[in-house]
Amino acid sequence: MATAANSETERLVYTSEELLESDACEAPLVAGGVRCHGGFDAEGAYRSPRTRYRAPAIRAWQARLKRDGATLLEVPRELMPPQFPNVAQAKLLVREGVREPIVRALTIISIVEGFGAIIRDVEVPDLGALIHEPIAGTALAHLRGALFEAHARDESGYRDEGGHKQMWEAARDLAFEKPRIPGDVLMRLMGRGRRDAKRERAFPQIDEKLEALLSTMAQVLVVEVFAMGTFAWGEALLSDPEVSAAPKPAADLIRFIRSDESPHVEYLRTALSEVRARRLRTQDGGEIAGRTVVDGILHRVLRAVASERPKQQREDVRRDLVAALQNAGRPESLLEAFEALATPWTPPARTGFEPPLAASV
Amino acid sequence: MKLATRLHRSLRIARTAAALWILYKPPEYASRLLRRPQPDRTQTHERAARLILRSALDLRGVIIKLCQSVATRSDVFPPPFIHVLKQCHDAVPPKPFDVIRAAVESELAKPLSAVFAEFDEAPLASASLAQVHRARLLGGERVAVKVQYPDIEDIVRTDLANMRRACRVYEFLDPQPLALMPLLEELTTHIGFELDFLREADSADRVRGLFADDDRVVVPRIHREWSTRRVLVMELVGGLKVTDKSALEAAGLDPGVVVQDLMRIFVRMILAAGFFQADPHPGNLFAMPDGRIVVLDFGLAKELPEGFGLGLFELMFSMMTLNESAMIRAFRELGFQTKTGDPNTFVQIARRMMERSETGRFEGEFTEDMTDELFEAIREDPVVSVPSDFVLVARVFALLSGIAHTLGQRANVLEAMGART
Repeated sequence: MATAANSETERLVYTSEELLESDACEAPLVAGGVRCHGGFDAEGAYRSPRTRYRAPAIRAWQARLKRDGATLLEVPRELMPPQFPNVAQAKLLVREGVREPIVRALTIISIVEGFGAIIRDVEVPDLGALIHEPIAGTALAHLRGALFEAHARDESGYRDEGGHKQMWEAARDLAFEKPRIPGDVLMRLMGRGRRDAKRERAFPQIDEKLEALLSTMAQVLVVEVFAMGTFAWGEALLSDPEVSAAPKPAADLIRFIRSDESPHVEYLRTALSEVRARRLRTQDGGEIAGRTVVDGILHRVLRAVASERPKQQREDVRRDLVAALQNAGRPESLLEAFEALATPWTPPARTGFEPPLAASV
Repeated sequence: MKLATRLHRSLRIARTAAALWILYKPPEYASRLLRRPQPDRTQTHERAARLILRSALDLRGVIIKLCQSVATRSDVFPPPFIHVLKQCHDAVPPKPFDVIRAAVESELAKPLSAVFAEFDEAPLASASLAQVHRARLLGGERVAVKVQYPDIEDIVRTDLANMRRACRVYEFLDPQPLALMPLLEELTTHIGFELDFLREADSADRVRGLFADDDRVVVPRIHREWSTRRVLVMELVGGLKVTDKSALEAAGLDPGVVVQDLMRIFVRMILAAGFFQADPHPGNLFAMPDGRIVVLDFGLAKELPEGFGLGLFELMFSMMTLNESAMIRAFRELGFQTKTGDPNTFVQIARRMMERSETGRFEGEFTEDMTDELFEAIREDPVVSVPSDFVLVARVFALLSGIAHTLGQRANVLEAMGART
């Protein structure tokens, strides 16, 4: 066993088929009548999908990074805004019969999870030509058709298997016994106003597609890391028999999702760390430290995610909540009790990836 | 309407129905009698469609609307009908100004000069049910005045009754008739909507309210004090045709942004709000030089059933992510039913649609080719029930895709939702 583990951590090159392969399972995972990915081994333990080779591969790439003297980047958890409404607030609402905001939130989470599948369409340029040092035997060399594809399949399901989108829906339907889905879910998801047609470039000196790839990976990484807070929230809420009609199966589903998401965080931070440890070719024939680019992008992403967006999301949720309470004819005292349970939070002043810090390669 | 006109219209419809019967039935009976296989009917369909088109252009009114309606139902009618009847444009010669003046004065119970400082005698546009004139209110504001033809309700009633009769005879004579009656009922409902200008005013207000937080969307303001069931007075707004790429570029507008904005507007109406302007042809959409998008004509605004937007989203999403079990659920939740009950029929239909896209995958755009393929697959047998709302929405997305392609862009529904950052 030890020998196998050692040889596993030494192997750095995999085929796409291997990285998409799942362990054999004794029993499938069926949630809310939908066959989902993953399954259970002979001991009844849940096995995440497509991890037979993917999990050891990520460990091997991380070990190599360490051997090369590079560090594995960490997204600071303290930047993660608290879930709103928090568990205590959500429980209060459900106990008081105001379930709509929670059903809406769970539905939006399921859709957002599903949208994670668009990562398979992210264009991966010829990284070998754009990065100064070789990338053979890295996570970076396995993005296209393998790591991105596995990620996409995990999120939205594939062929006849449901993914995280369907698992969140099943958890919601189990816990709240197939609730009515608020008609404004997609309206909330679309948000207000318009988006800019073109994103302003932070590093115009590097290849545009490379910058787009790194920006997408940084955004997805931050979303995945912060989603751990959402999973903890979902698990705590849906496992409470006072709230949930099916505490164990509903909470188990969230737990399975959380375990499936772990490889996503790991391969993304590995690949970004690999870029960070290398030099990128600039369009004028020069080069720039990968760390400068990755940290600059992460700083921008974290600053936006940790400050503006939560504030806007909070306002939206609060507005829905006030409307729901009014529609249900609930007294203002309920809103006051709800507010009293709020988690105070001030976004930290620093992201840890500030440009001056980033400049010192 | 005069008795003679009514008689003429009834006879013309009856004559067309009889000609269609002769076109189809005797050869069919002959084949059966001689035990020969049915011949290819493509040419017969083409001749039948041309016959109907001639009658429509002669009679106008509701027959034009029927032809337009048939041209959008490739799930029911064979391709020759769609191609021929697509030519049945809504533009018809305008009514004389005297008729229009009388209609407006009768509706407002005032002389024209008591409301308008100016009223152009030449119409801006004329269609099968109404025409539009440019005018200026006494207060100075420039307005567009939509005036319903005075005898149109009578014509509609007569034509619909004649068509219903013709349909019944057809259903009686044909052992396997096309489902024309539901189509006629749908047309009756839609024309009823279009003839009620107060409903149109309400719809315009509702859509304007939907975009109250978005100053880039313009829905003309209605002058309620001068609007009735048959006269609609609205703010005069216009701009550049959204299909005129060189004009857009000359004005400094990015066609990509115009398409993105159009998609965002329609996706928000259809998927998110469940209430939408169902006729986004290029004559109803303009881009203002400052980039704002003008949406006109809410005569056919339509409310979708609760959950429809989410169901459609789920269908598109499952197609995009190749999740077949979710596709089957979404088709069913939208109201599709197969003859055999075999759920794989839906997967086959989705695969055929995807094969018609440029990449062989569904990436969020309902192109006209894909919609055609969907309806061809449906017509070929396996699906017995297709929700009419789905047909209408698919047509809207196909129209938007056509506009986008004219501008060298793509009309990606899921991207408009913010799926791709």
